[in-house]
Amino acid sequence: MGHCGEGPQEEKKIMALLEVHGLHKDFGGLKANEDISFSLDDGELMGLIGPNGAGKTTLFNCIAGLHPVTAGQIIFSGYDITKFNAHEVARLGLARTFQVYAASGDLTVLENVMVGCFMRTRSRSRAKSRAERILKDFKLYNFSDYLLSELTVAAQKRVTMATAVGTDPKMLLLDEVAGGLNPNEIEAIMATIRHIHHDLEITVMLIEHVMELVMNISDRVIVLDSGRKIAEGDPNTVARDTNVIKAYLGERYVREHAAELT
Amino acid sequence: MEALKNAFDFSDFPRTDLIIAALAALFLLTFPAFPHSSFAMATMIQFLMFSLYGMGWNTIGGYGGQVDLGKAQYVGIGAFTTSVMLIRWNVPFWVSMPIGMFFAVIWSFIIGYPLFRLKGHYFAIATIATSLVLKDIFEVWDFVGAARGLEISPIKFKPPDFLHLIFREDIYYYYVILGFFFLGIMYVNWFRRSRLGFQLRSIKDNEDIARSLGINVHWAKIKTYAIATAFVSLVGSFHACYIKNIEPEDTMSLDISILIALMAMLGGAGSLWGPIIGASILIPLKSYLKEWLGAQAGLVGIDLIIYGAIIMLVSAVEPRGIWGIVEKVRRRKRR
Repeated sequence: MGHCGEGPQEEKKIMALLEVHGLHKDFGGLKANEDISFSLDDGELMGLIGPNGAGKTTLFNCIAGLHPVTAGQIIFSGYDITKFNAHEVARLGLARTFQVYAASGDLTVLENVMVGCFMRTRSRSRAKSRAERILKDFKLYNFSDYLLSELTVAAQKRVTMATAVGTDPKMLLLDEVAGGLNPNEIEAIMATIRHIHHDLEITVMLIEHVMELVMNISDRVIVLDSGRKIAEGDPNTVARDTNVIKAYLGERYVREHAAELT
Repeated sequence: MEALKNAFDFSDFPRTDLIIAALAALFLLTFPAFPHSSFAMATMIQFLMFSLYGMGWNTIGGYGGQVDLGKAQYVGIGAFTTSVMLIRWNVPFWVSMPIGMFFAVIWSFIIGYPLFRLKGHYFAIATIATSLVLKDIFEVWDFVGAARGLEISPIKFKPPDFLHLIFREDIYYYYVILGFFFLGIMYVNWFRRSRLGFQLRSIKDNEDIARSLGINVHWAKIKTYAIATAFVSLVGSFHACYIKNIEPEDTMSLDISILIALMAMLGGAGSLWGPIIGASILIPLKSYLKEWLGAQAGLVGIDLIIYGAIIMLVSAVEPRGIWGIVEKVRRRKRR
């Protein structure tokens, strides 16, 4: 077994899967992310919330290697990925979904998921059987031959999650997978996220505007506002944090409802 | 082994398609047995050549969505490599053809690397530019015959010479290019469902998503561009032996580049049968337009006007060409 994992103390020590240190991202004069630091343990489910324009998607794009960062450091499973390209980050096991899925109508549901599976194999038959297994798992198997544009938004979102899972990731970044869904669909998406996190044992970080979802399933929540991290903690604490309420509802609301909030 | 099996696997097509394809293949195999004019034979050879050009273009242009309007430069590299080697050193076609492919692929890497930093129309225009520059170089380069071009004189050979691909009768050329045609179909049939094929289709869909799925977008494009190039260069080499008289002005002109792209675009970019359908319509049309309307009725340049109209029509009505319409109708029927 070598020298790693010797003794019970070594095994108990959980290494952070993702560490972000002092991340800055400027677009010209606009500071989209300012000095953001956090870390995420293996097996956690973390929510990332904040008002529109807070810099949540930018943060995802920086972590996933889609945007070069202005300053700071990102470490994923022991590798410094700050300067990695998006495809290199993905190959290390950090997958993500996108808010909008531009479906040109060229690939079927099965083929979409196969693209993900092809990251780990050259063989078509292996990619196909793995994709079929994932589709069954995600209850999408009956839609295998459909084009993405023929599905409901909720089903499309589930396909993008299945595709990302196809790459066999250690960690998954979900960008607003519940946006624009009705309550029943949100319930189903929540079950899918739980399944990914709990049964497939994938660490999850999600951006979400649907509060009942994010507050329900997150172990921990980070709040961004105007590019800065303003709060971090378990969902209940964060929901009562004055800074967070200010960010969402404005200072006046906090002043007028000071009595109720304490 | 799996690759070979996949190349022969057409099981995802409906049976009607396979019956039509089998009938078409039977017709192509037996065509020379029917009474035909030499004009019809020449048109058939052109059809097979342009189908192959189109299949090559289709890998990067159709499946990958990178509209390339500079394929003529690779026709030139293949054709001139084979001509020069045959005339100067008597090198057999079967040796000069892979060497031509090698040169073409090297050149495709050299220009592909910077070119794929560009996207969309900028990429298309840049491919036109590189093709024209290479043509201009060939026109002043004495080693490859400069603007006069190169002529293979058949006197040195004893036709039918299968080694050097010098024949007197077109029927030999017909069966050689038909062999390449079937190989080309097998190759693309494998390619479209290979990992690279899937990656290309994902890139066409959305490059950011492709990246997030571990695809090295730039490299996948360059690789596929090289594959397309190899196809085109092979047919260029064949073209040199078949025509026996090549000039940069003819072989490497913009018309050729546009025509190559048009095969797949009209027939159906990103589908296996698209380039063949496109060529079966466009090549007879081209012969008619150029030789008849152009030469006899004096409407020089009418062919280019028609091609332009076809490009506009395809992009306005159905960007995925005739095959795109077929698939749309089928999809609607199934649901």
